[in-house]
Amino acid sequence: MDITIWLIIGGSSAIAFYMAWSIGSNDVANSMATAVGAKAITFKQAVLIAGILNLIGAVFVGSHVTDTVRKGIVDITYVDTHTLLLGFVASLLAAAIWVTLSTWKEMPISTTHSIIGALVGFGLIAGGMSSVIWGKVGSVVASWILSPIAGCIIAFLVFKMIVKTIFSKEKPVRAAKIIGPVIFGFTAFLIVSSLFLKTPLSENYGISDLDGIFIAVIASAVVMLIGIFTLRKIEAKGAEDYATVESIFRKLQIGTSSYVAFAHGSNDIANAIGPVASIIPLAQGIGIGSKVEVPYWLLFLGGLGIAMGCMTWGRRVMKTVGSRITNLTNTRGFSVDFGAATTVLVASKLGLPISTSHTVVGAVIGVGLARGLEAVDLSVIKKIIISWLLTLPIAAGTSIAIFLILRTIVG
Amino acid sequence: MVGKKDHFRAPVQEAFRRKSPFGQLLEHMEKVRECIDILGEGIVRYYTGECKDFLEISKKVSKIEHEADLIKGNLRNHLPNSLFMPVDKGKFLWALREQDKILDHAENLAKMLDMRHTKIPKELQSVFIDHAKLVMKTVKAMEKAVENIRDLVETSFVKREREETKEYIYKVHEYEYKADKKKYEATKGIYKLEKKLNPMDVYHLLKIADWVDDIADHAENVADWLRAMIAK
Repeated sequence: MDITIWLIIGGSSAIAFYMAWSIGSNDVANSMATAVGAKAITFKQAVLIAGILNLIGAVFVGSHVTDTVRKGIVDITYVDTHTLLLGFVASLLAAAIWVTLSTWKEMPISTTHSIIGALVGFGLIAGGMSSVIWGKVGSVVASWILSPIAGCIIAFLVFKMIVKTIFSKEKPVRAAKIIGPVIFGFTAFLIVSSLFLKTPLSENYGISDLDGIFIAVIASAVVMLIGIFTLRKIEAKGAEDYATVESIFRKLQIGTSSYVAFAHGSNDIANAIGPVASIIPLAQGIGIGSKVEVPYWLLFLGGLGIAMGCMTWGRRVMKTVGSRITNLTNTRGFSVDFGAATTVLVASKLGLPISTSHTVVGAVIGVGLARGLEAVDLSVIKKIIISWLLTLPIAAGTSIAIFLILRTIVG
Repeated sequence: MVGKKDHFRAPVQEAFRRKSPFGQLLEHMEKVRECIDILGEGIVRYYTGECKDFLEISKKVSKIEHEADLIKGNLRNHLPNSLFMPVDKGKFLWALREQDKILDHAENLAKMLDMRHTKIPKELQSVFIDHAKLVMKTVKAMEKAVENIRDLVETSFVKREREETKEYIYKVHEYEYKADKKKYEATKGIYKLEKKLNPMDVYHLLKIADWVDDIADHAENVADWLRAMIAK
């Protein structure tokens, strides 16, 4: 193989790793901050759990979204291979720069929106209006609006259920000891079934959907039993002992935080490695349209980048965020985590790149609507909309600029 | 990039407030408790003729009133339109306003009592003391009702907790009603003695009965707004 091919692959992988690292360092706070803030786990445990679960989510469930990013946005039949190569490198670089810049300036943008914007920009400059697959872009943009709403609805329902089945009962603590493990088992079912339903893992080992569900049911039963076992000694200190209910949910929150980390890995991995997944077959002279699996080592590299980000910079983010979050008690944090993670995981399965942070914000608002929070600042919605309106054109513009520069250099 | 630890975006934490409005309402209520405890004790001694150290009490009450004002101002200034609360924000602010009125009236009462040390006639002392105690009990009952907000918020306003709050609110009404009756008894007693007393004493005694009673009225108002706040 030509040395330039290796240079291209190596270089773009390095950029992807950098992008993955910045995603990890930024978004880890979304999944783990509530658990750390509530002192359910320590910083060290949090970044370790987040890193490992991000990696698992990325490697085993991440390929669907990656496919969307690499061939769902730009229609490659209109563009020649050389331009495509440059374009994907330019898009990745543009998105990574924009993410770093906004991280530094504390702007609430989404890494997902950056990469989509960058790809659209490249498509426009390289092949004109017709080279962008607007239908797909439209559905991705629609998912950005729908995902916070979905997170909001699920979190609302989960919290309402907690109120109905625990808080309004005569003996809230006893109810929590039963309901807690049940929800926990359900969470395990969702994670495990997502690992085995239509994933490379199940294809490689010949696991059918039915088997996958079977494995998931067993796993959730085991988790449920562990839950019942660990909670068995907790006794209520009085009739209205809500503190003990919260302490039960503090334990459960470790589980849902991991769920968020897993879902996050499965979705956001694509932002980093999607473009590279396109570059590799191109550099090797294989048409992008032909069926090429996203290589495992690439998913692993991206997952590792996110995990590294969690463990290095992520620690610092969590310290600042975790200490600031005081209002979110464990039952609320649980509902938020569950709502957001379920939405993100479903989106990952559908191949839709969505923003984890925005979904989490949607879930927070959902709990607020269920009268669960003392005060929710709805002005954050305005900030999200502004970030959409800003990120897309800026990422597109940067991508175009880098593309043009690269073209003049490389020719 | 070392040392830039605050430069991270975290939209999640922007979505909800760090300082809880209900917590601040409770903090304000604690000031009411502190103030009424001091004043309640002082006023009984005043009624029995020990007015010498009343200046001290008046000063303490003023200080607490000022501290409570700061809490109230802070709370009011940080409830923007975009803030979504589980209860009606207007009713919440009304409850706060009425709670603050208790302190305003307490301060006024302490100042006025200290301005002219009026001797309560022997015949009226017991009814005056009973009246003051009933007013203090009204406030105490209100404190309990407000305190239950903590459980209400925690359980997201389940029926059981709402019923409990209502129980406390009924208590407030009960004591306020009794205090009112005592006030009329005291007023009647003052008029009975009007020939014996000098007019200025009569005026001040009538006023004292009113001022003390005002405190119970506002405690009742707090309870009423609380009731409206949690009504479904």
